[in-house]
Amino acid sequence: MPSPLLVGAVAYTPNVVLIWEGMRDYFADTDAPMDFVLFSNYGRQVDALIAGTIDIAWNTNLAWVRTVGQTNGECRALAMRDTDTVFQTVMVAPAGSGLSGLESLRGRRLALGSQDSAQAAILPVHYLREAGLGTDDVELLRINSDVGKHGDTGRSELDALRAVLDERADAAAIGINTWEAIGREELMPGAFEAFWTSPTYSHCNFTVLPHLAPERSDPWLKALLAMDWENPSHREVLEMEGLRRWVPPELDGYESLFAAVKDQGLSTRW
Amino acid sequence: MVTIQPVTAAATSHPTPPAGFLLDVIEQVGRAPRHALVAVPLPPGHGHDVEPAVETLRRWCERTGNELVSSSGNVAQVRCGRRRDPLADLAPDLVPGTRLWMYTNFDCNLACDYCCVRSSPQTARAALGADRVRQLANEAVRAGVSELILTGGEPFLLHDIADLVGSCTDALPTTLLTNGMLFKGRRLEALRQMDRARLTLQISLDSPTAETHDAHRGQGSWDRAVAGIATAKAEGFRVKVAATLPYELTHVVGPFHAFLETLGIPLGDRVIRALAHRGVAEQGVELTVETLIPEVTVTSTGVYWHPVGAEHADQLVTRDIFPLQDAISQVRTQFSAYRADADAAAQWFPCA
Repeated sequence: MPSPLLVGAVAYTPNVVLIWEGMRDYFADTDAPMDFVLFSNYGRQVDALIAGTIDIAWNTNLAWVRTVGQTNGECRALAMRDTDTVFQTVMVAPAGSGLSGLESLRGRRLALGSQDSAQAAILPVHYLREAGLGTDDVELLRINSDVGKHGDTGRSELDALRAVLDERADAAAIGINTWEAIGREELMPGAFEAFWTSPTYSHCNFTVLPHLAPERSDPWLKALLAMDWENPSHREVLEMEGLRRWVPPELDGYESLFAAVKDQGLSTRW
Repeated sequence: MVTIQPVTAAATSHPTPPAGFLLDVIEQVGRAPRHALVAVPLPPGHGHDVEPAVETLRRWCERTGNELVSSSGNVAQVRCGRRRDPLADLAPDLVPGTRLWMYTNFDCNLACDYCCVRSSPQTARAALGADRVRQLANEAVRAGVSELILTGGEPFLLHDIADLVGSCTDALPTTLLTNGMLFKGRRLEALRQMDRARLTLQISLDSPTAETHDAHRGQGSWDRAVAGIATAKAEGFRVKVAATLPYELTHVVGPFHAFLETLGIPLGDRVIRALAHRGVAEQGVELTVETLIPEVTVTSTGVYWHPVGAEHADQLVTRDIFPLQDAISQVRTQFSAYRADADAAAQWFPCA
């Protein structure tokens, strides 16, 4: 039996422990056993991947972009969640606000989530710029909670929504997952409405460096892709991690974030 | 990343709580460990009515894979994620319905002073009957039962005991509980008709000497039980021996094991259980449906939670014996509910 592959993940809720213990238990029954290490932020995790402390990093899209940057593109992505291939940013405003499209934000206040959240800060600014809207055109209210976790906790997005309710902002940029979490426009009718939704983009992936030989990563990847939603013991882990099945990575879905990071001159850490 | 279930519910118009309510809920539940209970303050609406908040919370839980456990006053309990099925936490052989107990009859040639179902020579027979035993055995196979257990009363008092046992062993491996005292004459002939490959006899014996056993079960009963064990083994049956002891003595069993060794009863075929405070027993372990892992038990009057409570109303699950699968499902559902209540109580009443 080969030595376990070491997977890194960021601990953004207590349930991350349950998720990775479940993954470890699943892989223990395969020919590609694994263990895991939890980090307090993605910066530390990417450092550990590059230093060879871990074999595989469960990275956000921003962590992927930074790993690509720090390895001159030599890293590779093994897989992602089905939900990672169709991630979106949603612009929401009070119901009946009359906002429609990004252009309607001109002269208004937009609440953003954590500065290191691709979905709630980096990409929204990118989309605004693509629409010809700079910081002189839209006043940005940045809510930097949980920096380091790349928006995983969702807290800054909830705070952005609170800012709209408190009339400190006219609109908020949030991830599609947060929009789903509040029940879109259905659970709180009259509270929020979506007035713009971004194109889909890719979110998390399992990242490895070239020194992890395919003989080591292939059996692990094969076992990962074999996890089955219909198997109750697999489903509990899949539900917690927010997917129905693992899929091959869709790297084209990172192009917008690469462009945004370059355009905004973002720091290589957090 | 935050885990979100797909949106499926349709919008309905109803009063809603303040919009910030749901944001607070998401943050609160999102921070909690999976399966933990979270106390959610309910904001009052018009006339201090919290119902709109409860309804919003209920719909939110449905959509996001969480569970609204209860609401009382201005607080609701939300479980982070849906609770685990308590049945999944049981060892496979403990899942209710793995075994099916049947009380063939309630009358007995003995009147043990701790009998959990008050059996005695004066007790009404209340026989389950050959037809129902046969139907239960057949339905048990379809219901996924893996073992049948026949008990009483004393089953060997029944003139048709060989037929009853035969219909069970034809269907599944079977264990027959007996005091082992009646293996003579036509009853010995009945025993000889039984399927040695599919039937185990479980004979009651409480002590390595006659004194303790006879004190509870009647003068001379120990000698006859020991003789019954020897007869059954000589006839080629697998014999298990079951002792019922006061709880404080269940760990003082060295001499008893040594004696059973001399009878050729292997360790795995020795059952030592604590006396239950049920039936005519004046003391013993208190057993309730909330604390007992159920063993689906059928008598002539219905389906009970456990054989130890088979004549007690508090352990009656249903009067409907058939279809057996429904009765088993009912027991499992009830067990899951009790476990959920116990888990909730354990989380809500920490002492330190």
